[in-house]
Amino acid sequence: MAGAVEIENFSYDYPDGTKALVDINLSITHGEKVALIGPNGAGKSTLLLAMSAFLKGTGKISIDGIGATAKNAKKIRSLLGLVMQNPDEQLFMPTLFDDVAFGPMNMGLDEGEVRSRTTDALKTVGLEGMERKPPHHLSGGQKRSAAIATILSMEPKIITMDEPEASLDPKTRNKLNRLLKSLSQTLIIATCNMDFAAGLCERAILMDEGRIIADGGASKIMSDAKLMQTHGLEVAAVFSRITH
Amino acid sequence: MHHAQIDRISYQDSPIHRLDGRIKLACVLIFSVFVISLPATSVSILACYAIWPFAVLVVAGVPISFVLKHILIVSPFIAVLALSSLLYDKAPVIATFGPWRWETTAGVLRCFSICGKFIITMTALVGLVATTRFSDLLAAMAKLGVPHLLVVQLGFLYRYIFMLIDRGYHVLRARAGRKFRNLGFADELKTTAAIAGSIFIGSIDLAGRVNMAMQGRGFDGRFHRLTEMRIAGADYLFAATLTLYLVALQFLGRVF
Repeated sequence: MAGAVEIENFSYDYPDGTKALVDINLSITHGEKVALIGPNGAGKSTLLLAMSAFLKGTGKISIDGIGATAKNAKKIRSLLGLVMQNPDEQLFMPTLFDDVAFGPMNMGLDEGEVRSRTTDALKTVGLEGMERKPPHHLSGGQKRSAAIATILSMEPKIITMDEPEASLDPKTRNKLNRLLKSLSQTLIIATCNMDFAAGLCERAILMDEGRIIADGGASKIMSDAKLMQTHGLEVAAVFSRITH
Repeated sequence: MHHAQIDRISYQDSPIHRLDGRIKLACVLIFSVFVISLPATSVSILACYAIWPFAVLVVAGVPISFVLKHILIVSPFIAVLALSSLLYDKAPVIATFGPWRWETTAGVLRCFSICGKFIITMTALVGLVATTRFSDLLAAMAKLGVPHLLVVQLGFLYRYIFMLIDRGYHVLRARAGRKFRNLGFADELKTTAAIAGSIFIGSIDLAGRVNMAMQGRGFDGRFHRLTEMRIAGADYLFAATLTLYLVALQFLGRVF
């Protein structure tokens, strides 16, 4: 069985020549929950875009055994759902129902299946009963949940998220954490929030300046104070208490 | 959420709000055609046409002040046209309103007709928007055969106008927080241009990212939507009442 994500010697330069990703090698198996950690500008978001076949670099990226190329983009995006950092970019339809149904409709599913998936996804994120609301009338936390629902309704094998906890209050963040823990899909979460990553993921990949610096158990990497400080990060509170 | 009042009234509940969007849209279009095609001299009949949209607003519980405010916003464009007709057409005519008759100029009559038709059709249009959720209105437009591209564009405009309002509001607040004196006309203009530029560039970036989010969910240039719309007895009754009303006014117009 092919791994969820396989990346071999992948590099990508921005149009102005800046090296965004340098010689990335990575293997993620199905069902893993992986935190992609690193300071701002480390290349985390760029790597997520490359996995979704939005960027053409050198090297190879495979999603569930299929090459992440422009030719396979549609197939790749039905296997791997990307939740963007700003939910306002992800929610563009006039009603919440239309937004969550957008992906399944584009997948060519029949009407009954689209309705069933949309209802299930909204229920999973706790937004049932809000189907007819316009997305711009949702609160920040609800928008985040709605953005996740738009991907859940497509039932991808892999879900990537770009800073899903950003701008959320602790209560909403904990709710999101519980929701993400309950998902059976492979999760790849790019974040600068070590507490959030530590509470959710068993594996961490540390990136800086477009390179993978460390890859291993979340507790091992995120409790290494020297490593974290060198790359502009901090030890997660849960590991900080253990260290002291 | 300082822009929530834009949608507030269309989310109320009333017999008019519950009507099918297609019926309301078609009725407003037909009603507007009848009003616009009325001769400028039919002052009495024009006044009778005003009853329908105002009755709809009363039944729907839409505040008249809300409608008038929106009419006022777009009125300058029509005011120029109406006032100019006063100057260009000074031929004497006899105007009648019920039992009253008086002599005036064709320009005055035309000005009155333009203003009257504008207020009546705008009231009907604002009434439609105030009693129909925008998503239902878009679905109704699509079902009635409005070009797909136009419906999609309107959908995006509706969705992102709120973000632009928010962005503009935040930028203006940031400026107010750092502006301690009047900068003078030239510098104010420069600042305003910079703000407009930053919002414009931001909106282009946003459009790029939204496009990416759409492609990420399999968008291939064609919009597919699931919309449940049902025409019920109340919809037929509403359409039949309007038809009778228009026929009656046509009859009155010929008799008087």
